[in-house]
Amino acid sequence: MTAPTPSPTLTERLGSLLMAPVHLLMRAIDIPLRAVQKAAGIGGMATVFLAPNMLIFGIFVLLPLVINFVYSMTGGTAFFLTERQFVGADQYARLFQCANYLDPMSCQEDAFWTAVGNTFWFVVLQVSLMILTALITALILNRDLAARSFWRAVFFFPVLLSPVVVGLIWKWILQRQGLLNFGLYQFGVEPYTWLTDRNWTFVATIGVSLWAHMGFYALILLAGLQAIPKDLYEAAEMDGTKPARVFWRITLPLLMPNLLVVVVLALIRAVQIFDEVYVLTGGGPGTSTLYLTQYIYETGFASALRNPGLAAAASILMGLVLVVLTLIQLGIGQRGEKKGKR
Amino acid sequence: MGEITLTKIKKSFGAVDVLKDIDLEIKDGEFIVFVGPSGCGKSTLLRTIAGLEKVSSGEIEIDGKRVNEVSAADRGLAMVFQSYALYPHMSVRQNLAFGLENSNMPKTEVAERILEAARMLEIEPYLERRPGQLSGGQRQRVAIGRAIVRRPTAFLLDEPLSNLDAELRVSTRAELAALHGRLGSTMIYVTHDQVEAMTLAHRIVVMRAGKIEQVGTPLDLYNTPANRFVAGFIGAPHMNFLAGEVTELQNGAATLATSGGHRLLVPFSGHSLSVGDKLTIGIRPQHITLANDPGSLKVKVRLVEALGSETVIHADLNGEKLLAVVPGQKLISPGDEAHFSVAGAPLHLFDRNGLRVKGC
Repeated sequence: MTAPTPSPTLTERLGSLLMAPVHLLMRAIDIPLRAVQKAAGIGGMATVFLAPNMLIFGIFVLLPLVINFVYSMTGGTAFFLTERQFVGADQYARLFQCANYLDPMSCQEDAFWTAVGNTFWFVVLQVSLMILTALITALILNRDLAARSFWRAVFFFPVLLSPVVVGLIWKWILQRQGLLNFGLYQFGVEPYTWLTDRNWTFVATIGVSLWAHMGFYALILLAGLQAIPKDLYEAAEMDGTKPARVFWRITLPLLMPNLLVVVVLALIRAVQIFDEVYVLTGGGPGTSTLYLTQYIYETGFASALRNPGLAAAASILMGLVLVVLTLIQLGIGQRGEKKGKR
Repeated sequence: MGEITLTKIKKSFGAVDVLKDIDLEIKDGEFIVFVGPSGCGKSTLLRTIAGLEKVSSGEIEIDGKRVNEVSAADRGLAMVFQSYALYPHMSVRQNLAFGLENSNMPKTEVAERILEAARMLEIEPYLERRPGQLSGGQRQRVAIGRAIVRRPTAFLLDEPLSNLDAELRVSTRAELAALHGRLGSTMIYVTHDQVEAMTLAHRIVVMRAGKIEQVGTPLDLYNTPANRFVAGFIGAPHMNFLAGEVTELQNGAATLATSGGHRLLVPFSGHSLSVGDKLTIGIRPQHITLANDPGSLKVKVRLVEALGSETVIHADLNGEKLLAVVPGQKLISPGDEAHFSVAGAPLHLFDRNGLRVKGC
């Protein structure tokens, strides 16, 4: 005797109701897909399924890249490519035209080299500080803190803010009549013009970008720390390993894959720094916080004598730097993987 | 030396008491096994001895010295973890050396100790490999090697065989026993596998819900389990339990009636029973024979597992399950009626509280 089929429950009925349009859709695309498969063959189906994505990638990434390269070979102030004249590598030559290569001020495009110099120091300082603070934050958040989830959220929240909002918040804090001066005034300290002092604005751009992005990197490192088995630490404890040695010999080597990801992401993002700085200082005072992306933007779009060709050339050079950085990361990553397998 | 004494050990995690009044003396050179179901506290007990967990109250002494406040590293013990806990980015040699380097031991001595342990465990060819390139069994040896090089007063092993496949487990078990014979050190071994416990231990500590149920040699536990839990836990397949009642007491024997109306005669010389007492009767499956003698139990066969050398018969006795393991191959099939004889079988009696009845 077979058991009677139980009548469907409410959840099951709801489920089949919700799935009905899906089934209908599947049936609708079944026929054309079969036809495509007949034409493309089983092996060609991978290409068919990848095609929409490749198309989007082509239109929004690859094509602009090519167009940008073409722009970098043209001159004039006109925007439309058809109205621009071909000048070959002139724009690149202009960027590299200097009387003395050790003195950026002697270059024809001195603003470009100032921006390169500023960006270089910004990247070196910001990335080192970023790695250090993110690592320390992750190590602290990985401990058995009271209200650990709260602290994790506190450090992550700035990541959710739009860069413009970040820039505005810190402008309110740092401007002459801002929160910082108000606070200092309560302790009898005279107000200071933080955003017009060349040195302080540079420090401020580093500090603000640290504040805005550190949570993201700390989160990646925290995930890496949590993936290290607790047993290893207990084994080290049984062996009487001192905390510093545990960090250098166990934690750091096992965190290396995550650390590498963080270094590369932080490097790339630091080279691209723009929005929050643009809102906070506008590149000033003078050119003290003029970074490469802002130079490209202003040269191409915002200045009175706009020069899209020159901006395109500068952006291609910046792209090359990013490609080199990424290749270095891939190389290190692969070497690390091979080492792990050996 | 490697004497470990535990006195009134208690351990709580918040409101949960994981260990309750543990008293135990472990002799120097003894191989002692903590066994019990998951969550019984056996691993926690091992970790408190190791110093990885602090006791809530009670005393831990190693060689007569109180070590409650002594750090894990300074207790002179070495632990082999269930997951092996090998450092994945270091070679086997570096793994073995890591603990020794902490104490600033001269390099020549470190190298000597590693070589000695590697030879003993036959891992010499793998010294330059990383744990990821070793099989489970090899990793296990490295984990033991890491403990050996430290020359500890006692080894603590937390389910070291549970990640190995069945065949390897049997051979590694024998190697562990041989290793203990060679080193002569105290070993404390945690497992939930009673076969491991029976084959390795000098003495077994059976634990349940944070308490020690019984401590004794493997055969003590098998022959005279202190209570129903130990009786059911030690021995494979598990002991059969039948509900029964004392109907008669005379001439050094007790007559018991099972719920199905069968009568069983048990030699009894104590004074703790009286007519009408309700009991649990324990019968090991291996002690049941197939014979139609007076007093045998008439059962219905539910399942037959023919293992070749023996036959396992799952049967039903008036609604109670009964398992028999009989030697050889039997022509019997599910649905058949059979007679289970317990004549001459050692029967275990447990009172209402599950404690062994004295004198049986």
